[in-house]
Amino acid sequence: MKEQEATIVAPAPRPLLSRTTREMLANYAYLLPAAICLGGTVLFPILKTINMSLYHNVLFRPQDYRFIGLGNYARMVQDQTFWLTLRNSFAWVLWSVSFQFVCGLAAALLLNASFKGRVILRTINLLPWIVPGVVVGLVWEYLYQPNYGPINDLLRRAALMREPAAWLSEINFAMPAVIITNIWRGIPFFTIMILAGLQAIPIEVYEAATVDGASITQRFWHVTLPILRPIIVVATATRIIWTFNYADLIFVMTNGGPADATQITSTYTLLVAYATLDFGYAAALSVILLVIMLVFTALYLKFTKGVESVAG
Amino acid sequence: MSTHRSGDLFERFLGGPVLWVGLLGITLFAMGPFLWVVSASLKTRAELYATPITYIPTYPTFANYVETWTSTLTPFSRFFANSLWVSSVTTVATIVISTSAGYALARFRFIGKNTLMLVFLATQMFPSVLLIAPLLSQWYALGLIDTYQALIYSNLSFTVPFAVWMLVGYFESIPHELEESAMIDGSSRFGALIRIIVPLAAPGIAATTIFAFVSSWSELLFATTFTSQTEMRTLSAGLLYMAGQYEVQWGTLSAGVMISTIPVAVLFAFLQKHLIQGLTAGAMKG
Repeated sequence: MKEQEATIVAPAPRPLLSRTTREMLANYAYLLPAAICLGGTVLFPILKTINMSLYHNVLFRPQDYRFIGLGNYARMVQDQTFWLTLRNSFAWVLWSVSFQFVCGLAAALLLNASFKGRVILRTINLLPWIVPGVVVGLVWEYLYQPNYGPINDLLRRAALMREPAAWLSEINFAMPAVIITNIWRGIPFFTIMILAGLQAIPIEVYEAATVDGASITQRFWHVTLPILRPIIVVATATRIIWTFNYADLIFVMTNGGPADATQITSTYTLLVAYATLDFGYAAALSVILLVIMLVFTALYLKFTKGVESVAG
Repeated sequence: MSTHRSGDLFERFLGGPVLWVGLLGITLFAMGPFLWVVSASLKTRAELYATPITYIPTYPTFANYVETWTSTLTPFSRFFANSLWVSSVTTVATIVISTSAGYALARFRFIGKNTLMLVFLATQMFPSVLLIAPLLSQWYALGLIDTYQALIYSNLSFTVPFAVWMLVGYFESIPHELEESAMIDGSSRFGALIRIIVPLAAPGIAATTIFAFVSSWSELLFATTFTSQTEMRTLSAGLLYMAGQYEVQWGTLSAGVMISTIPVAVLFAFLQKHLIQGLTAGAMKG
């Protein structure tokens, strides 16, 4: 419309850049702040990490700084602790996410029923997920505390235990203890997701199934679960990636101890960076974390694409 | 007929006792740890370390809160102010940056737009552990250690990708005829965005706001790594610092935990509807 007007009135002087080019530049301008921000805080640091991983770079020994190629990676292959942390990460993710899912599903089904005070109960049940990670870690450290903590006290009152247990400093108990804490923290995520999925199911679907004589368990297995499938896949995949990288809880509660019993790969990376100040090796560990995460994400995308085509 | 009736009985059992016992169980599990900390924060020093331990404080007192808030060793009033400032600025910056980027990705055609969306998705999953070492040397080189800027810039690395991802969906759901008619009426595209699109996307922006605020409020690793002075710590970093003192003072620590929790819990209680809608809309989209 504007072009038409322009030709009728007078031939406009030809601008330096064509109209489409100018428009395109203007469009890119909307992206510029985000691009600068992520370039400076994500992209550049990652390139820098990859670069750092190729150097011998211990902060308190600057005279030893030199290029060593894949030396840090070669060291990793032989580092027993690194392989231990990978196994620990696997257990940490497996137990955390599977229990979070089962409990989250149960909580969502319960909270989807209609009863008085539902909104308040929902808010309460979502709280563990919203509080800061350091708060969760410290609260549970207190709960597990051998002498003044309530867990030992309750177990003793129930006559299930005689001697107080130091949950977080015994090799056999420490990992289950931090996993239980992580389960407590992560249940609400699944509850939220599944609750939203449940609310999107039209009531008619259930009514039709009931008229056809389906019992409540049949309705659950043949109606509810298939409809929830896409949301369950997305939530679980996101959670797996996220839990693998989540360092805050262990960092606060045990710092990987005792004797690396709770050391997962992400906390090990932190430990190498903070305690030994070996930034070259820490960077190499970060690169491996990055690669694992990208593989997970690629699998996730492939997986959810499949879900989408099934669902839609 | 008889099977039908036993089915009814089973369903009534599920809807009655099982429902109530289940609700009680999950709520106690979710609330228990908080109740313990509330109780501990109100106890006197003697009661905190008494055996057998008590569950309800005999002489409830706010002394722990007063001590935590005014302590010179771990100044929680200062930590609180730091957290408030860092989280607020991060939130405002996140909204501005991601509204602009989200709008562009929802409306314009770009070369490599799908790749860009994938980048935003992938960066959401990025572990902050990965960024610690390079960001530390970056902020050190720029002289930003012990400044608010270092914390705010670092927080943007995880708030912006998620916010953009969430907002693109919202903007796509708003018909583009709306701003096109405003532009025919002489408004610039930017003006149309501000006056027409942003108000319509308010629920999405509310969700982004609470997400950005809560996640910056909770952030721990950046805050402990990029600050060395006590008075520059945020609440998360301050709590960890307090717990790392030679002897853990559970009373004041519990009070500190409550001070750090209450603001986000209140914010969440008011805005949870929006956040949940935003989160699940993203997930349902796939």
